[in-house]
Amino acid sequence: MQLETIPRVVYGSTSFVSVGGTHSSSPIIVEALSKTYKVTDREGGFGAAVKSFFKRTFKEVHAVQQVSFQIGQGEVVGFLGPNGAGKTTTLKMLSGLLYPTSGSARVLGYTPWERQPGYLRSMTLVMGQRNRLAWDVPAADSFLLNKAIYRISDADYAQTYRELDELLELGPISRKPVRNLSLGERMKCELAASLLHRPKVLFLDEPTIGLDVSAQTRIRAFLKEYNRRTGATIILTSHYMADVVALCERVIIIHHGRLKYDGALSDLSRRIAPYKIIAVHLGGCDDCALDAYGTVLPGEDESGRKRIQAPADQAPAITARLLAEQPVQDLTIEDPPIEDVIERAFNE
Amino acid sequence: MLQIFRRLWAVNWAEQWQYRANLLMYLLFWLVSPIVYLAVWTTVARSQGNVNGLTANDFAAYYMILLVVDVLTSQITIHVLAPEIQNGTLANRLLLPAHPVLTQVLVNNIAFKALNLIALVPIWLVLYALFQPTLNLNLLHVLLAVPALVLAFGILFLLGSALTLVAFWTTRVWALWNFYSAVFMLFAGHFVPLALLPPALQTLAKILPFSYTLYFPIQLILGKLSAADVAFSFGMQVVWLGLAYLIFHVLWRAGVRQFSAVGA
Repeated sequence: MQLETIPRVVYGSTSFVSVGGTHSSSPIIVEALSKTYKVTDREGGFGAAVKSFFKRTFKEVHAVQQVSFQIGQGEVVGFLGPNGAGKTTTLKMLSGLLYPTSGSARVLGYTPWERQPGYLRSMTLVMGQRNRLAWDVPAADSFLLNKAIYRISDADYAQTYRELDELLELGPISRKPVRNLSLGERMKCELAASLLHRPKVLFLDEPTIGLDVSAQTRIRAFLKEYNRRTGATIILTSHYMADVVALCERVIIIHHGRLKYDGALSDLSRRIAPYKIIAVHLGGCDDCALDAYGTVLPGEDESGRKRIQAPADQAPAITARLLAEQPVQDLTIEDPPIEDVIERAFNE
Repeated sequence: MLQIFRRLWAVNWAEQWQYRANLLMYLLFWLVSPIVYLAVWTTVARSQGNVNGLTANDFAAYYMILLVVDVLTSQITIHVLAPEIQNGTLANRLLLPAHPVLTQVLVNNIAFKALNLIALVPIWLVLYALFQPTLNLNLLHVLLAVPALVLAFGILFLLGSALTLVAFWTTRVWALWNFYSAVFMLFAGHFVPLALLPPALQTLAKILPFSYTLYFPIQLILGKLSAADVAFSFGMQVVWLGLAYLIFHVLWRAGVRQFSAVGA
């Protein structure tokens, strides 16, 4: 396995490469990766349909544009962006399902889209609501099929299965036909089927989509533990910020196919939204003039407190003034909600 | 590899078994046309004594063997693979380090075949009782038919798969399939035994692969071929198996490249 070291590059004003850094052992190296789809473009209606039969017009969709990043061994990176940002396209290229239009990627020393058996045996792609399991037979049969396809030895299989069983409680559900499983149960089996060969790199596209909160929590805990035990490198996309907060120290944000941010999740708010939320409860004063202290956000938080948005560097001074000038009963200083921060990052 | 096939068999057999009622309907549909030809040709031959030298018993024997050979050598790849290509679910299989067509789809075909064969037995016995053909089977011919049937299925599986791969480029693959099926039925000896085709079509049939997948095994089993014919036909089977694999392989490589997993 040969990995070249490429120089660290800074992309745009809000993007920087920090946490992963340049490891000579980076299992994932992506450089200027781009994918342009050609799609037929026509308006609705019969006339347009007839016209397009004779002369089809194509529109180019730049799904991913010049995206570069590196991910170090054992990192769990959140891959964020609104719908259509290019997340899934990127994951598909990295798992060898799509040929890029330009750019390069090396994962574990392989070029993914060459789809060499050695590569396919050492990575996995999990797409939420996607079926790796045969529908009409118990998941256990699909597990055994995967054991054969991935050429997993009896001893390795027994050990991995025991671990997965322990983390996901597969026992009873793996013996029922897959179509009789609930979505949460099926997702557990999907994960198990995708991980039996102990992949070194995991691409998880919305692994918790459609699951209830407790199932989400369990899948999250499982992924964390799997990463800890195996040292696998994980890229994860999710619409649930809780997934990202629980699992990822580092996030990569893409929007309109371009890389917007690459760095620590904890730095994100400092860089993108450098403000704090001061939540206060004032005794005996319903509409005190809080406007003087900063932007008052509409409504109240779940404890019935007013919220003031203030620039991060001024927050301590403003708090001191509030405490001195108002009948404060309760006060906290909070970071802005991560959803808002990311929303801002998208809109920049 | 053997392990993979064993596990695939377990899964596919169970899946096909789930849909056995469905499958019986499909088999009955599949059997309608040969049974109609069987009835029509034996009636014609009986009324005129013979058709170009073929007696009613020749037709009955021909179509009775055809029913078995057809089930053994036919393939259903387009039904399995085309939807997966078109709706993008093939992506799931492309992630696995095993050729999706040469493992999963192949075993699926074989499991389907095995169930069909079981269902065919009672139907065949009823037809046998009705038409009472004299088959004159001999062991050597039946044994020789085994490799002929395996090669025939290999050719049809690879050709059918290659044709299905056109789905990577166009959603109109079913029209192509219908055309292919018609050509197959004509030149394989489905509509009529090939000896009854006009000479020009007979020559064409000798070049095309289809006669070697149906007509040849039938005539071999019925002991109608000379040693030279048998040797030549086996040779043609091997040539067509190689060509079919080549076509399949080239289309697969290009197709996977083309496959953009839209909607997957």
